[in-house]
Parts: sequence; structure tokens; C-alpha cells
Amino acid sequence: MDVVDLRQNDAPNMAFVATGLAKVYRTGETEVHALRSVDLAIPAGEIAVLLGPSGSGKSTLLNIVGGLDRPSAGALHHGGVDLTGLDDAALTRFRRTHVGFIFQFYNLIPSLTAKENVQLVTDIATAQMDAREALALVGLDQRADHYPAQLSGGEQQRVAVARAIAKRPEILLCDEPTGALDSATGVRVLEALALANRDLGATVVIITHNAGIAAMAHRVVRFLDGRIAQVEINPSPVAPEAIRW
Amino acid sequence: MRALDRKLLRDLWRLRGQAFAIALVLAAACATFVMSMGVHRSLIEIRDAYYAHNRFADVFADMVRAPREVVDRVRAIPGVRQVQGTIRQYAVLDLPHRVEPVRALINEADSDDGGLNRITLRKGRLPLPGVAGEVVADEGFAEANGLAPGSLVPVIIHGRRQVLRIVGTGLAPDFIYAVAPGEILPDDTRFGVLWMGRRALEAATDRMGAINALSLTLRPHAREADVIRAVDRILAPYGGTGAYGRKDHLSHAFLENELTQLDALARVIPPVFLLVAVFLVSIVLDRTIRTERTQIGLLKAFGYSDRVVAAHYLKFALAIALLATVLGTAGGVWMGEATTGIYARYYRFPFLYYRISPLVVLGAGLLSFAAAAAGALGGMRAVIRLAPAVAMAPPPPPAYRAGVVERLGRLAGFSATGHMIARHIARWPARSAVTVVGVALAGGLLFATLQFIDSSRTMLDTWFLRAQRQDLTVSFTEARDEDALFALAQVPGVLAVEPASSVPVRIAHGSRSERAALEGILPDARLSQRIDADGRALALPVAGVILSRQLADKLAVHAGQSVEVRMLGGRQTVLVLEVTGVVNEYVGARAYAPLATLDSLARDHAITGAALLRIDPARRAAILTRLKGMPFVLGVSEKAATMRKFRQMIDDNMLTMIGFYVAFASSIAVGVVYNSARILFSERAHELATLRVLGYFRSEVGLVLVGELAVLVALSIPLSCLIGYGMARLMTAMFSSDLFRLPFAPSPASYAWSVVVVMLAATGAALAVARRVQTLDMVRVLKARE
Repeated sequence: MDVVDLRQNDAPNMAFVATGLAKVYRTGETEVHALRSVDLAIPAGEIAVLLGPSGSGKSTLLNIVGGLDRPSAGALHHGGVDLTGLDDAALTRFRRTHVGFIFQFYNLIPSLTAKENVQLVTDIATAQMDAREALALVGLDQRADHYPAQLSGGEQQRVAVARAIAKRPEILLCDEPTGALDSATGVRVLEALALANRDLGATVVIITHNAGIAAMAHRVVRFLDGRIAQVEINPSPVAPEAIRW
Repeated sequence: MRALDRKLLRDLWRLRGQAFAIALVLAAACATFVMSMGVHRSLIEIRDAYYAHNRFADVFADMVRAPREVVDRVRAIPGVRQVQGTIRQYAVLDLPHRVEPVRALINEADSDDGGLNRITLRKGRLPLPGVAGEVVADEGFAEANGLAPGSLVPVIIHGRRQVLRIVGTGLAPDFIYAVAPGEILPDDTRFGVLWMGRRALEAATDRMGAINALSLTLRPHAREADVIRAVDRILAPYGGTGAYGRKDHLSHAFLENELTQLDALARVIPPVFLLVAVFLVSIVLDRTIRTERTQIGLLKAFGYSDRVVAAHYLKFALAIALLATVLGTAGGVWMGEATTGIYARYYRFPFLYYRISPLVVLGAGLLSFAAAAAGALGGMRAVIRLAPAVAMAPPPPPAYRAGVVERLGRLAGFSATGHMIARHIARWPARSAVTVVGVALAGGLLFATLQFIDSSRTMLDTWFLRAQRQDLTVSFTEARDEDALFALAQVPGVLAVEPASSVPVRIAHGSRSERAALEGILPDARLSQRIDADGRALALPVAGVILSRQLADKLAVHAGQSVEVRMLGGRQTVLVLEVTGVVNEYVGARAYAPLATLDSLARDHAITGAALLRIDPARRAAILTRLKGMPFVLGVSEKAATMRKFRQMIDDNMLTMIGFYVAFASSIAVGVVYNSARILFSERAHELATLRVLGYFRSEVGLVLVGELAVLVALSIPLSCLIGYGMARLMTAMFSSDLFRLPFAPSPASYAWSVVVVMLAATGAALAVARRVQTLDMVRVLKARE
């Protein structure tokens, strides 16, 4: 893997470009610097894995990129627009149209079936696919009418993936998507993410503690103390089924 | 302070909004209880003290004329303690500033210490014995007519004109509610009470050594009915019109009527609030215990006993009850003072105050603590059942499965968020029911109280507009024959005259008997009608007697049966008459018969004590002036004036009542909806944050929250109408007394207002919670496992 120069970041085919991004949380009298002037550009269509210890800033970056949080300083461009200047409604519209999220604990709505959970997104998105089609992509079309409580953890996470990709997002943000899963189940989820990247062209950003997952990434970003310590390019990503932990 | 108690304080602070909302509902229960029980007790205490101090009699009797010696015979009746024979005489007052005749009832002023129904002097002094023309005037009448000690009043007593000097103003226990005969509202401008020294009154009325009224007190354990029978026997030769006890004494009966209503209020209203409070405490504790599951497990693992942990949650409920008792007592005292102020306008006591009774406050406290504890029972049981190991593991996720609601939702083509709303309601049926029933109770309560006002208005309209079609009622100084009617008909501007005739009778059926006025009706009467509850005028019987529903019920008689009618006074004629109809009237216990029947009862006695007049309104002043100059005219009551006063009374009470009950109903609606919304929000924070992350706008997310509440509130509306209907029925039944029977006559506006007020309160509460969607921290919520 090569270490790349971060200054090539205003190329037009970037999924997003962060410049001097900083985030300070204030709790009482103490200030926590979650991000310290981060510059990062992820090219569209890549799979990027963010690695680093807890509190190193990777989740903060992911939340800002996803429009869930705002930086204290710096800029974040997506498609020529600086997200830091958008109001809440515009950020919501951004999430609705461009971003898919996957979390460690699935965050499915327990009162809705798998299909209806996906419909939550297809009801409001513009470039959506059919809910069943999205479930078929993750191999769950047979379980479409099951409630979350009737599905295994891996199945629930694949429903979450289906829900995230049903809007054909440009960016798929995954925060510890396999953190609660065993190896075999986790691999199936990773396969679904790889598929979203390959077939739908989504840029996939995965936060993980699991260094093994880095093998499937085009780009691996290592965080330490709110800064990017290292960016590696992986010229030959492996297929998820080759990963074990 | 122990750590667990510190946790309690912090929990209370954390849930302060919800705790306060519950406290408001409980406080409303306390307030109504403290108000109605407090005023009830205060009124009874004051009345009883007043009665005792001023020696209000137990039994009263009127007669045409009897020698004073009859008092000694009555005193000899077993069970009689004290007897007073007096003269009561109606007189016409000629107040220069009043167009209409003003009448007064002149009583004997206390002559010695042994008298009954004694005066409480407010100003001036009592008439001096042996000095003619000195009177004490009742305070309300004096104030309404600008009279004070020293004022001179021209008056016609017993056909003779004389000038009275007012030497004092006062009050007496037999005129707490000083209403003219035949009226239902006091009108101080037209009717007053005067007290004159005995000798002067005897001289003015040509009754030297004679009396025409008698009152007596009973010894303890004496049987009133026996004494009344004995008095009637003694007074029969003197034209006695039947002795009667306090319950038939007009002033006492009106006061009693008011007390009945207060008592009903204390019985009907607080239970509604208490019930809602039980529900609320129960759902809030249930949610708290579910969120604190791990902490409960931890406490138990540390060695806290089940009892201590359960008591911790009980204390939470009791702390709310404590706050409610304080708030409710303060509110109740304030309402009690306001209500007492209204009573003071109609009921004349030497002093009328609202006294805070420790017992009432204790009772209110007990009620709210009991309600809070009842609400906490379920939660405490759950706490005790929770094993520490189970408690510390995360709770199983809520299991949803396909059921009726799901199928219906799919058939209806709900959106995903629509499904979320419908299924959440179905998933927590008990809590959803609490919201529906709670809001419905709020609406029902408001409806029942608003209906009470409709009911009074209907009574007013039926009585004054339909039943009584005359403009003026002219009362005569004594019963007259047709000559008086002819004289009235001659007055220019008088369009129609009809006699108002009645004789005092005792109507008996089987072992039951009641005193009543038997009113005579002309076959072609147009000025007075008997209007049934359904609004129809009842046709006249050719013979027999028509009874009002109240009288028929008291006598346990129905149409087709016979009753024995005995005229009181005169020759005590007895007729057996068939009850040809029962009329559902609202005012008083009455009986009606054709004039011919009255004539045969009264034989040679004149029976027309008043006339009903329809007049040309343009000539009102001239007519009143003419009437004032007629020697046989005692007084005139104007329907329009009475209606105005009645309306004003309703409006006075209404403003206060509406204020209270709008506040109460709102407090229930707010309490229920706010708590449901907070629980809903806390349960769904995770889901709502997820929706935000998925790209739902705040307004759309808020709609999921508010939508569920809106569905529940909408469901509550029909139930609210049902509950309101039932409560209104119950309240009209409980509020009805011997004097009035309230109709159930809700106006559509009352249904609408009760729904609107409750919806507004519910919307306010829901929006207050929906605002929290603004502060939903998506990142924090999604990081945590639910």
C-alpha cells in the first residue's frame, strides 16, 4: 500500500472532501477535541475503511459527513456544496437523497416488518428501488414480512443494509456494521456492502475496530487523537468472503 | 439523606413535568372536594349556629285568626318545647322612587328574650314597645331601596295608610332566602321584610289579642309529624292552613337545595379526577420502572430488599400526592371563597365565611394519597417480581407480530409511519386506553357541567316563556272574587286578565300525604299553561287533578289512581279526586284542578289570590302606577324582571363555574396527554432518531409522535360524549330537589365546546412534547442499544 498526498482533494470525482475539519465538544468546563483539522478526500465509488482506537475521531467524522453533526471549524464539500453551510432542513434533504446509514445495533423499527422498514426509506427517497428488490439484493426477500424480533442479528443488519441502499445512495456510511455479529454472519453483511459498492456504485465508508476488514477496502484511513495518522491505498482489495476474524 | 431518597428527589426533578401534570389532576380532585365539602360544612355550620343563636323554629303554621291563648294549648302538646304566636301581615309600600308597587311582610319584632326567629340587628335599634310606627327593615331590602334608620316609609297596612319610621336594619333566620310568595328568586327591590313591635302591629291590623301565625321548637326526640297533626287539630277552627316543618319552610328549603347540590358536586366530580390520577400514576411508574430495570436489578443485587425498592417507587407516587394536596387545598380554598361570595349574594346570613376545616383538608389528602398509592400498586408488584439477574439483562425487544391491526393497516394502505402509529397503539392497549378514557373523562366532565347551564336555561325558558305567558302577576292583599279581575281589566293597556287561584290542601294517597297548593285552571286559560318535559302543553282535565311529577313521586301515585284532597283552613272539605295526569314540570311540587273543583273545596271562601295580566308594554309605567293606587293590590311581579334576575344568576354562577371546569377538564386532558406523550417520546426516541437519520424532516417525525396522540384523542371523542351524557344525567338527577327538577337538555354547543376545549388542551400538551423532537440527539441515541 502507498501513502498518498492528501492535497489532491479538489478533484471532481470525489464523494466528499473535508478540509481543516475540526470538532470540539464542550462538557462543562472541559473541552474535548474530537477532530483536529482533518483533511480527507474519498474518491467516489471507493470502499474506505476508517480504523483507530475509541475516541480517535472516526465516528465524529462519519457523523459530520452524513449530515448528522456539524463541525466546529473547516469545510466539507459534497458535489460542490459545502455541507457546513446548510441548515437543518437542507441537511435532512441531503441525508434523504444522498446518504445511507448502517449502525452497529441495526436501528430497525420493531413495529415494522423487514419490507416496511425498507419502505420507510422508499416512501420518501427519489431514486428508490422497490423494497422487495432491495431485500433481494441482500438475500432476504423470503423474510420480507418478518418483524425484527423474528430475525437473527445478521438478518437484521442485512435489512438495515437493504434499507440503506434502497435509495441508491451515493455514500453509504457504516459505523461498526459487524460489531455485534459473529464472523460468518458479519461476512454476509460485508458482502452486501461490497455489492452496494460494485453494483450500485455507492461510495462505502466503514468504521471498524476490526483491522481484518481493511483487506476489502480500496483505501484505509487510520485515526489517532482526532487526526488522520495515515492513509493507505490498497491496490488489490479482496472479496469479503476471504475475510475471517 | 440516604442515597435512595436522593435518587427519589432527582427522579422527581427529572420527571417534574409529568409529576406536575399528574399533581394537577389530583389537585383538581382535592380542590373540588375542599371547595364543595368545605362550603357545604361552612354553610351548615353557619346556618346551624345562626338557627341556634336566633332560635329558628322547627314547625310553622298559619291561620286566619286565633286568640293568643291558643299558644298555651299548642305548648301543651307533648314534644313541644317553645311556642311563639305572632302576627304576619303583608303591606304595600309606597316608595316614591319606584313605579311598581313594593310589598313587605311585616312580622312581630322580638318582644322579650323568649322569642323564636329572632332578629340580628345590623344597624339602629329594635322598635320601642308601645311606640307606633317604628320598624326594623331587613338589611337587603333597606340597602336595595336606599333606606336607613331614620327613613320614613308610607305604607298601607290592612287597608290603612300610615307612615313607618325605620329605626334599624336586621336579619332573621326565617328569611335567609327572602323570597316573595310565588317567586323563586329574591328581589330586594320589590319585596322586603319588616319587623314591628307587637302592640303596634296588633293595632295596625285590628288583631288585639289575636295571632295569625305560629312557630314552635321541638324537644329532642319529639316526632315532628305527630306534633304537626296535633297543631293542625288545634288550629283547624281558626282557619289553620296546615302546619309544616323546616323542610317545607321556603327559606330553609332553598338553602337545603343548595346544600344538596354541593354535596352532589363533592360526590360526582372528585372520583373522576381520582380515577384519572390512578391511571396516570400507574402508566408513568410502569414506564419509569421499565427504564430503570437495570438499576432495580443492581439495587437488589446490592442487597436492598424488595420492600425497600418497592417503597422507593411508592414514595414517588406519594410525593406527587403531597404536592397535589397542597395545590388542591389552596385552589379549593380560593374556589370556596369565590363560591361563598356568590352565595352571600342570594343567602342572607349575619356572617358568611368559608372556613378551612382540618377534617376536609385531611379528607382531601387521604383521597389523593389513596389514589396515588392505588396507581403505584401495579408498579410495586412489578418491582417485587423482578429477579436481580433478569433485571440486569437487557429487556427482550417488544415483539410485534401480524394481527388484526396489521392486516387492517395493510388493507387501508397505510404508509410505513402510519403502520408505526397504528401498531404502537395496538401494542400497548392498556396505556392507549388510559389516554382515550382519560381524555374522554375530561370532555365528559366539561360537558356535564356545561349541560348544567343548558339545563337551567331550559328550565327558565320552559317556565317563564312557555308555562307563564303573563307579563305581570298581581297579588291581592287578600283572596278576592271576580270584582278584582273586572277592576284590573278596566285599566287601560291591560290586554288580558286571568285569575290565579289556589287553595292550600293536603293530598293523601295510602299512607303518604303532602302539603301542596292546589291551583285552579280555567278551561280556556291562555296565560298559564302546564308544559310537559317534552315541551308540549298538557290538555286540561274536565275533572280530577293533575300532579307534578315530584308530587306524584312523593305520593307514589300514578295517573288513574285516586287521591284524597283535604282543604286546609276553612271547612276542611275533603274530596276524592282521580289523578288524570302527571306533568313533568321543573319548578316545585304542584297540583292542578279545574276552578270548579277549587270552588267546591273552598265553598264560600274566595280563592283568587292573584291575577295574571298581559299588558301593552308601551303602557307599562302607567299601568304600574294605576296598580299601585288600587287598594286590593299587594304587589306586582314582572316576568321580564324575574327572568332578568334569573338569567343574571345563571350568568354569575356560569362564569365562575365555567372558569373552574374549563380549568379542571383542561388539567385532566393536559395531564393525560402530556404524560402519554412523554412516555411515547421516551419509548420512541430511538425510532424517531432513526427516522431523522433516514432523512425524515422534524415535522414528519413530530407527526409520528403527535399522530398517535391525535388518533387516541379522536377515539376519545365519541366516548367523551357518552361519558358526558351519563354524568350529566346523573348530575341532573342528583341536583334535583323538592324545589326544582332539572331537565336534561344539552345544547349541541355544549358537546362542541367540551370537545373543543379538551382538544385544545390535548393539542397544547402534545405540541409541548413534540417540540422535543427538535432536540433529538441523533448521534447519541443511535450509538446506544435501546
